[in-house]
Amino acid sequence: MKYFLKVVWAEAVKQHRNYFNNWTIYISLFIWPLFSFLSAYYSYSAFDVDGTLISYINGKNILVFLMLGYMAMSFFRSVVQSAWNFSRERQSGTLEYIYLSTANRLAVLMGNALSSVFESAIVMLVFGMLIIISNRDSINVNTISLGIVLIIFIAMALLWGVFLNACFLYSRDTDFLFTILEEPMEIFAGVKVPIMIFPAWAKIVSFIFPLTYVLEALRQVMLNDASVSSLSNILFACIGIIIVLLSATLFTIGIVEKHMRKTGNVVLF
Amino acid sequence: MIEVRNLKKTYDVKRRDGLFKSHREKVEAVKDISMRIEAGQIVGLLGINGAGKTTTIKMLTTLIEPTAGSYSFDGLDAIAHPTEVKKQINMIAGGERMIYWRLTAYENLWYYGQLYGIENVILKQRIEKLLKLVGLEDKANIPVETFSKGMKQRLQIARGMINDPKYIFLDEPTIGLDAVVTQELHEEIMNLAKKQEKGILLTSHYLSEVEQLCDYIYLVNNGELIVEGTKRKLTDFVFLRNQYAFSTKGMDEGIYLKLKNHIGFVDKDADVSFEGGKTLITSKVELSSKLAEFALDEKLTINELHKMEPSLEQAVIKLSKEMQKEKMA
Repeated sequence: MKYFLKVVWAEAVKQHRNYFNNWTIYISLFIWPLFSFLSAYYSYSAFDVDGTLISYINGKNILVFLMLGYMAMSFFRSVVQSAWNFSRERQSGTLEYIYLSTANRLAVLMGNALSSVFESAIVMLVFGMLIIISNRDSINVNTISLGIVLIIFIAMALLWGVFLNACFLYSRDTDFLFTILEEPMEIFAGVKVPIMIFPAWAKIVSFIFPLTYVLEALRQVMLNDASVSSLSNILFACIGIIIVLLSATLFTIGIVEKHMRKTGNVVLF
Repeated sequence: MIEVRNLKKTYDVKRRDGLFKSHREKVEAVKDISMRIEAGQIVGLLGINGAGKTTTIKMLTTLIEPTAGSYSFDGLDAIAHPTEVKKQINMIAGGERMIYWRLTAYENLWYYGQLYGIENVILKQRIEKLLKLVGLEDKANIPVETFSKGMKQRLQIARGMINDPKYIFLDEPTIGLDAVVTQELHEEIMNLAKKQEKGILLTSHYLSEVEQLCDYIYLVNNGELIVEGTKRKLTDFVFLRNQYAFSTKGMDEGIYLKLKNHIGFVDKDADVSFEGGKTLITSKVELSSKLAEFALDEKLTINELHKMEPSLEQAVIKLSKEMQKEKMA
């Protein structure tokens, strides 16, 4: 376990030193989600939000509703980007040396996701917290549930990142995953629009993304004072997803290494 | 001891037939290679580009799985137990990739050390020792992107030693380096083998490098071993094949034939050809004075008498032909 944690920490530190050398990168990671958030908010302002299908959304808390969506999205988006970035280690030749070492592959991928989750989303997190605090009279938080949901949220974001990292390592031709997963996640996971008002086909698509479940839970505990028991279905679904993601990651890591050893593609770029 | 027998690697490769069509075919990168590496020994794997050197090294490092053959690592089946092998090996490749340019030399070594789970106190001492060994102790906290090519290569050597490996695989480590840095690296490689008892496999396409460093040499071409042996044994085959370019004023077919006859008396196995107005000779015998004598006897003015370093390409081609002849016989 000590060895595993050493590798996680080393990878996170390396990613930080390698990619986050300048404060401007934090700002650049924040600007685009901010614009997207503002655009969504002002789109809503043209309509009467009160009395929609979703009982806990109203004109007062729509700002927080959207902010929670974009904050959560920034965590999940950052891991997609970090997974894509990690595949560049193939080009730099460093991936070969990671695979030459005895380091646990899961630990390496987890370190990368960990660095990304906290660093890429930090500015958005701070901004979001400021928005929420300044609109605290519009929220209705269940603190105990929030603690549990946050733990599940971090675990899901990390594992989603680790799983994508493993997928991106399969071959140099997996960049399409970035296109498939990044924008559609924003559209279908309910970041801007609650999935309850989606047509059936869109709801089915939304179930693919882990963000859909954990975001709904987060909004429920932040805006609707939802207790753990009232969220039990979503929370069980989240725990199920965590187990599936972990199993799929371990399986993919094994497949990737086997594939690399067979094809020698660890050095192809 | 590392011992591989009849190692083979076949890739299933996609070939394009046009804009939309493609087919798959089998490519044999390594057809049949057997070799041994012992502790304290520098073994050379020599061959021209595409000979199968890098694929062989990747199989020995367990990064690539052989299609066939056996690989014994200190008595252990290395193909079945790659993790055990990885603990005791490392690889150093030529070029400027494979290290993190935005990290400092120290941070690079710290990161790779952590990947091997080395205790922090031991790792700190080892990093300091290695940076001193490769002459980078004053540059420890400077980002690698500011390093010269030679400094980056020295850092690669330190990185390759971070887990204190028993065997080191050097894949063309001096490629693109100037003579001074190359000489320094050669000294470090000798030191690793002779003082620290590391078993080293060195791939190169520089004949002089292999001649200078290696105790035992394998020469490969098209994924197969052409010849193997100690430096002394291979000297006759490869290293002492001098090449000469010789031309005189008014040199024509007649003079060339006389010269060929003259050389035949000294070395009947010499290769002599006439190309572009000059005679090209490959011989195991020192011929400079004989060629000068010939010009003097024939009252010819020498335009060019040039002795060249033996080229690997020519040695490989010649040896391949000789091996083929032997097989036919």
